Amino acid sequence: MTKRSRALVPDPVGVKTLRTDQLQPNPYNPRMLFDKAPLKTLEESIKRVGILVPLTVYQRRSDRQFIILDGQRRWMCAQKLQMPTVPVNQVAEPSLVQNIVTMFQIHKLREDWELMPTALKLELLMKEMNEKSERKLSELTGLDVAVVTRCRKLLSFSKKFQDMMLEPDAEKRVKADFFIELYPFLHDRVVAKMPGYSRTTLTRKMLDKYQNPNGGIKAVTDFRKAKQHIANARKARKLSALSPKLKEFVEKIDLTPDHLLIPAADVSAQARSLYSKVQKLQEELTGLDVEGYVGEEELWSALESLLRSIRKCLGAAGRRIKE
Amino acid sequence: MRTPKARGTPIDDGRIRSWLDRLDGYRVAVTDDRVRTWFNNFRGQDTDLGARVLDAVTFLKAEDMEAALRDMVGRLPGWHKSVARRQGEWRFVAFSISAGESGDSMLHRSRTALGLTGSQYDGLFIHKADLLRAGLGTDDNVVFFDDFAGTGQQACRAWRGDPETQITGLAELLPGNPKTYLILVAAGQRAVKRIAQETGLQVVARHVLRPGDDIFSGDCHHFTQPEKDGLLAYCRRADRRHPQGYGDCGFVIVLSHRTPNNSIPVLHANHQRWRGLFPRH
Repeated sequence: MTKRSRALVPDPVGVKTLRTDQLQPNPYNPRMLFDKAPLKTLEESIKRVGILVPLTVYQRRSDRQFIILDGQRRWMCAQKLQMPTVPVNQVAEPSLVQNIVTMFQIHKLREDWELMPTALKLELLMKEMNEKSERKLSELTGLDVAVVTRCRKLLSFSKKFQDMMLEPDAEKRVKADFFIELYPFLHDRVVAKMPGYSRTTLTRKMLDKYQNPNGGIKAVTDFRKAKQHIANARKARKLSALSPKLKEFVEKIDLTPDHLLIPAADVSAQARSLYSKVQKLQEELTGLDVEGYVGEEELWSALESLLRSIRKCLGAAGRRIKE
Repeated sequence: MRTPKARGTPIDDGRIRSWLDRLDGYRVAVTDDRVRTWFNNFRGQDTDLGARVLDAVTFLKAEDMEAALRDMVGRLPGWHKSVARRQGEWRFVAFSISAGESGDSMLHRSRTALGLTGSQYDGLFIHKADLLRAGLGTDDNVVFFDDFAGTGQQACRAWRGDPETQITGLAELLPGNPKTYLILVAAGQRAVKRIAQETGLQVVARHVLRPGDDIFSGDCHHFTQPEKDGLLAYCRRADRRHPQGYGDCGFVIVLSHRTPNNSIPVLHANHQRWRGLFPRH
């Protein structure tokens, strides 16, 4: 354990038994709600053999309450089973940073849950530790670097927009994916330099285009298309032709990203050609009798090289690579 | 709920004028033409029922709401406009945040009503996304603003989160356990009770709607059972899914900026089969 990571672990105080109703859940727990099915399994186990691993708790100085650092699911089961007491390992009250880091490390992030609350905890951690490196934040919290990156993108939007991701009403809530997909579009240097448009104004206008039933943004991935058209125009040195189109796209709610297409700069034809080649190769690989080709070293080397190229391309395009 | 006029009171120009005066200030102007169009929803023999429903409507004007907000915040223990006389830190936050909606609107009204429009008070008014960073403790206070709570379901979900819609709750943004208030211009009694039981929020509501304010309940004595049955038939035409208003609240309350969806749909539904007098959108 390094000196720094040792400093992030609360000091032990002792083992004891506490009344179940003396404990409170940890407010920094990034996982305050739990799936019912796994809880039921744990409850049945505790019913049979009791709580084998003591909960980790600390006593909060301000109100003398015992707060759970680790073991909230066990505690919830104990409550449900009406167990009068639970075994605990008491540790010293952690600092704010210790508490947040511990919570991140114990509780795996629910990837399908809204990311904004996690982003806010990360923001607090960054502020308290004066730490901005995504790699270090990833090591501290146990979050994937890609998740840290996504959180930081969300934090770059103003608090007004962050609130929209915290809205409890699912119909009114704006999903984090919208802002994550919007981010590269807003940061494209052509968009960022549009005269008369602040980042907030552009975000508001894109949100209108997305939320209005007649709006030109039908899916959050449409921003990739918009960015692609801008990149193509830049490569083809057609920015002067793009500029008025971009302004129209921003101002007119019903215009889709295809409005940004400059025919002379279009690479979609090349993309379609490449797509059909990829499909053909994939078909051949899927049907490959691997055993029969084990000795074909040249082929395997080429495939390994292709895999590296694919990873590189996907990484450069900001795509999440699923293993 | 207001006491409606006696059955059979003529629907003459004077009565219409009194409605126009009392209901003045709704987001979609209540005009003579619109009142008459609304009555066209009812069959001839039922216009008296429609008129008495309109008599019963509690209408809260912008100035009523501002006075209520000023009074409710003024009574919160430890609050004072002067920092020196305030106890603990204070933060004011909109409870629901969709642009132009109730929480946003109430927060803006409160700021005006409390005379806190100066830039020196900017720090008091924050976003939900600022709460965690604000580092508030047990001696501090967070005041959430909203206009109305019918059943309390939305407030409870907002507080504790919702696995179904995959969002965590407000409680998670207040780890230091500050005192939390939910200021409402009006609320159903059921909502007040539920929020108090299920959340850490202390509800402060100016108008608490009791069982007798549910126009369909046995506790409402302004309308007979046949009248209630007749009204329900019209409500079904106005909104088949929630004929008694969302959460079956049966309220007849209208706020000048928006009618709660817990109010009966003959007031606010607005489509081809029903022309509402107080459309929500």
